[in-house]
Amino acid sequence: MAAFICGIGWVTGAGFGWGKQGSKFSMPDLSLPPLTRKDVFPEPNQRFGRMSEYTKLGLAAITFALRDARLEEWAEKRPIGVVASTHFGCLATDLEYHKTVLLEGGGLASPNLFAYTLANCFLGDAAIQFGLTGSSFAINETGEDNLGAIRMALEDLELGEADTMLAGICDLTAPDAFADGVSFKPGAVFIVLSLSPPAVSNNYGIISLVDDGRITYNGIHADSLPELIQAALAG
Amino acid sequence: MNEVCVTATHAVTGLGPDLNSLWQGVIAGESAIRPLTRFATARYLTGNASWIEGVESKSGQSGIYPLLEQLIDGFAPVPAGATLITASTKGCIDSMERFQIGLPGDPAEVPMAPLLRHIARMLGLTSAGININAACASSTIALARAASLIATGKSDAVVVVCMDMVSEFVFSGFSALQALSGTACRPFDRNRDGLTLGEGGAALLLMSREQTIREGRPVLGVVAGWGAANDATHITAPARDGCGLIQSVRQALMRAAIAPEQIAAISAHGTATVYNDLMELTAFRALFGERSIPLHSIKGAIGHTLGAAGGIEVALGLKCLEAGLLPSTVGLLEPEESGEGFLSCSTQPIEGNYLLSTNSGFGGVNAALILRREE
Repeated sequence: MAAFICGIGWVTGAGFGWGKQGSKFSMPDLSLPPLTRKDVFPEPNQRFGRMSEYTKLGLAAITFALRDARLEEWAEKRPIGVVASTHFGCLATDLEYHKTVLLEGGGLASPNLFAYTLANCFLGDAAIQFGLTGSSFAINETGEDNLGAIRMALEDLELGEADTMLAGICDLTAPDAFADGVSFKPGAVFIVLSLSPPAVSNNYGIISLVDDGRITYNGIHADSLPELIQAALAG
Repeated sequence: MNEVCVTATHAVTGLGPDLNSLWQGVIAGESAIRPLTRFATARYLTGNASWIEGVESKSGQSGIYPLLEQLIDGFAPVPAGATLITASTKGCIDSMERFQIGLPGDPAEVPMAPLLRHIARMLGLTSAGININAACASSTIALARAASLIATGKSDAVVVVCMDMVSEFVFSGFSALQALSGTACRPFDRNRDGLTLGEGGAALLLMSREQTIREGRPVLGVVAGWGAANDATHITAPARDGCGLIQSVRQALMRAAIAPEQIAAISAHGTATVYNDLMELTAFRALFGERSIPLHSIKGAIGHTLGAAGGIEVALGLKCLEAGLLPSTVGLLEPEESGEGFLSCSTQPIEGNYLLSTNSGFGGVNAALILRREE
């Protein structure tokens, strides 16, 4: 199964950007940049300020990827699906919400925070923001290549579930007490995969899922998501 | 495409430690909803949930582990090379709660990866697989993914393990959202006043027809179609026109290559919140017109088991097809007016071979599966 990469967006410890615009892509083990609405959306966005940090992170990377793929603007809802891989999901929001549960025997638990205590919640915000009606879900995997979501998106394309898919990763920095023994870099990176060839300016090459479950980029094995993104941007 | 057969099922719910006790309970109109003793509930909208004896933290370990023991111990042998897909929304969330208040609790249990590895070890699998989190449609989407893998020949066998437990974390949240019934949920009743939480798990083994024959396994039913779609409307509320659910069911019908007229029964999500139930009835009316189709929800019997709901409902749905009976909806006394032709307060016969099972959840998620009776 092969698809075209036609958009790349990211927020990492090195900065944020999309395609060949802005900061050079890398995924260092550094604190993530704070994201303001203006960093992500040029126009006022009533919902962005109320979102959890995890949601802002994922939504920003999805926005940048769709912008790069020239799919940010829309008039009618579109059957684009999204698969996101995460280690800790919304744990930071869980901890914040849990503090409100501890007050007054739970009587002051925050409904607004609770609404963001699911790992897939930012995909709902992305669906609303960009009219995405394909299947959207988060996954947790045990491998360290961060390519699970991309494998699943390619499978969905192969099955005809959609013609265009978003796939990537999203994780805030792990809270200290929970980080022992877990190896990953914080950040969010999404790519847009399409069965149709994109315009030359945002055609990053061909990504394939081969029979042994490995991912290749332009015929060469990709061992990790950062490696795949760097190769696509350099191509 | 390979035919996708379900060769083994198991479920642990508030009604008992296996699928048979669930079946007997719902046929008898029983409910496992009763007062919770696991944590103080005085400040919440209710003190009731459907819970399982023994599903609680032991020696600081999450209560999900005793639930898994009950679930895996009673399950059929699984081929070592099977692909594992789990479905859980909050996994070991009780470990996080305990750790944060200074009780024995291991923070390393909180990410899903260690739980995945543990389940793989329990089942004797060679690889750990993935967990799917799509809110209350998690296990429906997990089963759809499993069916895809079998249909396309990417896996010979896929085991789906679904689980979620009643935690104060989740209980307080639904209470804060004013989504809990003050007593016990009444799906599709015109006086429904919210959901009741439940805990449980299901395990299902899916294989191609050829593989089941090779291994001499029974075929309990076939996953004939599946679909999933997002409402793209609201984070916590369903689209009132049911657009995402309609799209999901249409995809499932297309994949099953059947007409809507061939659906003989519906296992609905039926949480008993005002808007969810109305959305579902709107969607089913748009899909099936004025035709009468028996429809039920099992949440009045075992509560809303969140990420496990779809898996438990599919296991029970196969039992319904086998028996040719759709149990009544526990808690339903006065059917919602717009549900005329769908809703009944008594057990109904299933006159056909296909059962539709649907779930919807936060984030605008909707998913549908079509099950076929094994001839």
